[in-house]
Amino acid sequence: MEVKRDILWRVYLSFIGIVVISFFVLGRVVYIQNFQGNYWKSMSDSLHQRIEEIDARRGTIYSEDKQMLSTSLPTFAIYFDFMADGLREKNGKRFKENIDSFSISLANHFKDKDVITYKKELQQAYKNGDRYYLLKRKLEFQDFKILREFPLAKLGRNKSGMIVEENSKRLMPFGLLANRTIGLSREYLINKRKIKKQNVGLEKSYDSLLTGQKGQRLVRFIAGGVAVPIDGYQIEPENGKDVITTLDVNMQDLASTALMRMMLESESQYGTAIVMETKTGKIKAIANLGRQTDGTYWEDNNYALQVSEPGSTIKLATLLAVLEENKSSINEMVDVGTAGKMTVGPRIVNDAERSPKPILSLKECFAHSSNVGMSKLAYKNFGANPEKFKSYLHQYYLDVKSPIDLSDVAKPQLAPFEKNRGGIMNMITVSFGYAIQVSPLQTLSLYNAIANNGKMMKPYLVNKIEREGIVQKEFNPTTLVENIGSASTIKYAKESMEAVATEGTGKYVFKDMPFAVAGKTGTAHVADGKVKYEDGVYLASFVGYFPANDPQFSCIVVIRSKPHAALHYGGQLAAPVFKEIATKLYATYVDKKKINIVNFKKDSSKYYYAGYTSEIKNVFNTLQMSFVDSSMQMKWCNVFPANYNPVIKNKIMAATYMPNLKGLGLKDALFLLENLGLKVKSNGVGKVVEQSIAAGNNFSKGSVVYLVLG
Amino acid sequence: MTESLNIQAQLSNLSQRTKGDKVIWALVIILALVSMLVVYSATGSLAYKMYKGNTEIYLFKQIIFIIIGITVIYFAHLVNYTMWSKVARVLFIISIPLLFYTLFFGVRMNEGSRWIKLPIINMTLQTSDLAKLALFMYLARMLSKKQAVIKNFKEGYLPLIIPVLLVCVLIAPANLSTALLLGSSCMLLFFIGRANMKHILWTVGIAIIPLIFLIVSAITKHNSSDNELQVEKKSSSVLTGRVATWIGRVEGFIYGSKKSNNESAYQVEQAKIAIAKGGLLGAGPGNSTQRNFLPQAYNDFIYPIIIEEYGMIGGAFIVFIYLIFLWRCIRIFKRCPYAFGAFLALGLSFTLVIQAVANMAVSVNLFPVTGVTLPLVSMGGSSFLFTCFSIGIILSVARNVEQLEGKQIN
Repeated sequence: MEVKRDILWRVYLSFIGIVVISFFVLGRVVYIQNFQGNYWKSMSDSLHQRIEEIDARRGTIYSEDKQMLSTSLPTFAIYFDFMADGLREKNGKRFKENIDSFSISLANHFKDKDVITYKKELQQAYKNGDRYYLLKRKLEFQDFKILREFPLAKLGRNKSGMIVEENSKRLMPFGLLANRTIGLSREYLINKRKIKKQNVGLEKSYDSLLTGQKGQRLVRFIAGGVAVPIDGYQIEPENGKDVITTLDVNMQDLASTALMRMMLESESQYGTAIVMETKTGKIKAIANLGRQTDGTYWEDNNYALQVSEPGSTIKLATLLAVLEENKSSINEMVDVGTAGKMTVGPRIVNDAERSPKPILSLKECFAHSSNVGMSKLAYKNFGANPEKFKSYLHQYYLDVKSPIDLSDVAKPQLAPFEKNRGGIMNMITVSFGYAIQVSPLQTLSLYNAIANNGKMMKPYLVNKIEREGIVQKEFNPTTLVENIGSASTIKYAKESMEAVATEGTGKYVFKDMPFAVAGKTGTAHVADGKVKYEDGVYLASFVGYFPANDPQFSCIVVIRSKPHAALHYGGQLAAPVFKEIATKLYATYVDKKKINIVNFKKDSSKYYYAGYTSEIKNVFNTLQMSFVDSSMQMKWCNVFPANYNPVIKNKIMAATYMPNLKGLGLKDALFLLENLGLKVKSNGVGKVVEQSIAAGNNFSKGSVVYLVLG
Repeated sequence: MTESLNIQAQLSNLSQRTKGDKVIWALVIILALVSMLVVYSATGSLAYKMYKGNTEIYLFKQIIFIIIGITVIYFAHLVNYTMWSKVARVLFIISIPLLFYTLFFGVRMNEGSRWIKLPIINMTLQTSDLAKLALFMYLARMLSKKQAVIKNFKEGYLPLIIPVLLVCVLIAPANLSTALLLGSSCMLLFFIGRANMKHILWTVGIAIIPLIFLIVSAITKHNSSDNELQVEKKSSSVLTGRVATWIGRVEGFIYGSKKSNNESAYQVEQAKIAIAKGGLLGAGPGNSTQRNFLPQAYNDFIYPIIIEEYGMIGGAFIVFIYLIFLWRCIRIFKRCPYAFGAFLALGLSFTLVIQAVANMAVSVNLFPVTGVTLPLVSMGGSSFLFTCFSIGIILSVARNVEQLEGKQIN
């Protein structure tokens, strides 16, 4: 028993020791909770919760005929977390088992590196325990879809450590066409976290609409770095609106092609061509080509909006002003001499080209682009009151920014017109196109006003703003000035412009036209910035409208020549481009339009179908027909022709409002509508042509929709 | 009819046959229930990782472990405890080559070879668990046998210390913390078993020398890594690799969480957040958020999750259950007339509770991070079954004591 008692006190002592340690443990818990509690709790929140932004999809810019000019495509960046448990567990078993097949798949598909390089790089990153190893950037959806099925990658994030980040890339399917006007939307990092947006063109002027509203959500991080959204703390993003422009892809294409041909031939510095619909002021095409260092051309700047001394094209303003003053008539004879040079008021005026005869009528002065003649008339009418001339220029919108719906429009420059010698000298200089800087677009607007019988329209680029196929805002043609001159003035101006093409500076270019054009050449000797008059750089232009008897389109072509170019006159550089554009537009749009009025035959090339995307693709693929795929992986799509190719375009089928059923077969329409809880009654055979509940409207479940097929 | 009667009869038979300390039985059941609740909650994120969110899988696994564990206790406690004296020797002799095998061919987890894979049932077995149990049984046998000559170094102390050193040295490379805990538990047993204090102190003194070396190298490593970035040398052999891990852990404990990428510092941080979030009453069952961030939330770091869900109260409750368990075992010791049974009950219960307290002390950052589980509460595995086995042995002693007392009364 002695032994047992000896043991017993030792046991009790040990027990007490353990009790003491236990109380230390509990004491420590109390300490952590009460003295450090707030510190740890706040640390936990900051570690595990974060507000994340949800990107809104940027809207698409469409042409008038609903072709995508600029759209956002998702791109994917693939990273690897080589410290992922799933990859490392069992001593990296999963990594070792998959590395070979994964490298082979990568090399086979991307073909940018061979299998050994891929394997080596991946192994190195694994060895380094890289937590954010960049494997691929800017993968398109197609590639990403394939990569997702690769060995390793298909195991999912936890096992493979693969991290996918979705970004979006701005894509312009038509490349060069109207590139600068549509604009760019880029984002880049300036410092650390700040992202700066750099937009130009429509992307800039309609940025706020295209951008949409970013959403937000609160996420909580769980093991493995996975973020889980917390319910009830989410603001849905509002996708950007779509912008439907006035641009026409075909017109843009032919304007761009015509301009490009001349640019390459003449090696000019830059050129622009704008096509405007006469009645509305819609810009149908706007091409800008600038010479790159390698001799190619690219839409690098919106030259259509750049201001510069216009040269003789301004003479229309002089002509209009002079006629409006009523001191001169259209047939007034002006002595222009034979020297090509004459003193007018306070300064000497030179003619670019010799006049064909020493005495010209006002109309002939304009047609032959006599600087002497026009300045003499200007001096006669406004020599006593140069400010008056300025008020005419103001009326023609030549001294204010073009009201076009783009941002960064340059402001025109005009020399001062005081009632003194200098002011008068400036006025005379302006009368033939110097000492004033206007943009080609402004000049075009003025000429278009004449084509439109004196009504000046506001030039515009955007037809409407849509959101998920529903029109939010529509822009209608706007009249800037109801009448820029009296009816007779307009009539004389038209006659004078027609004379340019028949007997004047455009005579040779337009001699064999099947329809009449009216316009004006311009050749300005350029001196700006580093370029001096001695460099022999010219701004050649031609602006006018066609057909002269019933104007449909106005067009301006402005080309800035290379130094000491052999061809530098407006009639030589710009007029041929104008001619090509006019001829082609006439053939496709003006002439055809007339025929269509009498021809009511159904045009089988103008089809419009809708249906289930995969089925339609299946049909095309089976028939081995080529098609343009703009379906954006949507379930439903429309099919219509463009450039002789069928285009498959995504069709939006919302669940909350009536979809547009046009072109759908009855089977598809029934499927859609009955899924929406509607009853369908149909009449006729073929595709849907009419629906009783209009697209975009609300409907109540169980109501009846009547469909007319045809 | 007859069948159901049969079952009822069997059940009443079972309750009659279930002997031993009823309080200990109750404590075991309570801990098993707690483990079911907490493991189910804590395995949420693990289930997502491994079984695509099928969280019930771990609950079922745990329930199966509990059923097997209680079966083990039941059958172990039916055995006459004197049998364990013979079993102890056999087990110990088996465990030594197993330890050797594990050290050189075992499955590596976190670079330490601690496990061997059992071929047929496909379960990993931590051989140190087996060795521990065998060692304690063997020590109980030796202590009871050598009581007469216990103060003698050659005849008393040497036969005791040699098996301890052998097991510790074999475990240490893979799992230093377990070896240290095992060593100190043995020293406590020697103290209780009346071994010569002088011998014990000498042993402790000698064992401390490599520990001091470890701490010093941790400090120097820390200082040098402060001054310049050193290219960490990849250690080739198992042993040097482990040494680096130990140094890192000690460094992490001494200097706290300076290095954010330090894994054990991260664990400690997350554990503290869990404790702080728990408050007095806790967030309620299944409402832990830290289980998603705390590595090993279902295993070594289950205690902070208990506090987070059940608060300070729940944490204290667990501590008291272990203390009551120990107290009940001491009662068995007092009542046991035979030295072997007494030492068996003492040795197994003390080591179990020491392990529990050590686990909790690590959880609240009183000790550096080690790899010990919370007995009976941490998620299944071989250690759970070995714990059940040792409880079964304790209960078999209790049952025998009750039988003896019953006879005496009669």
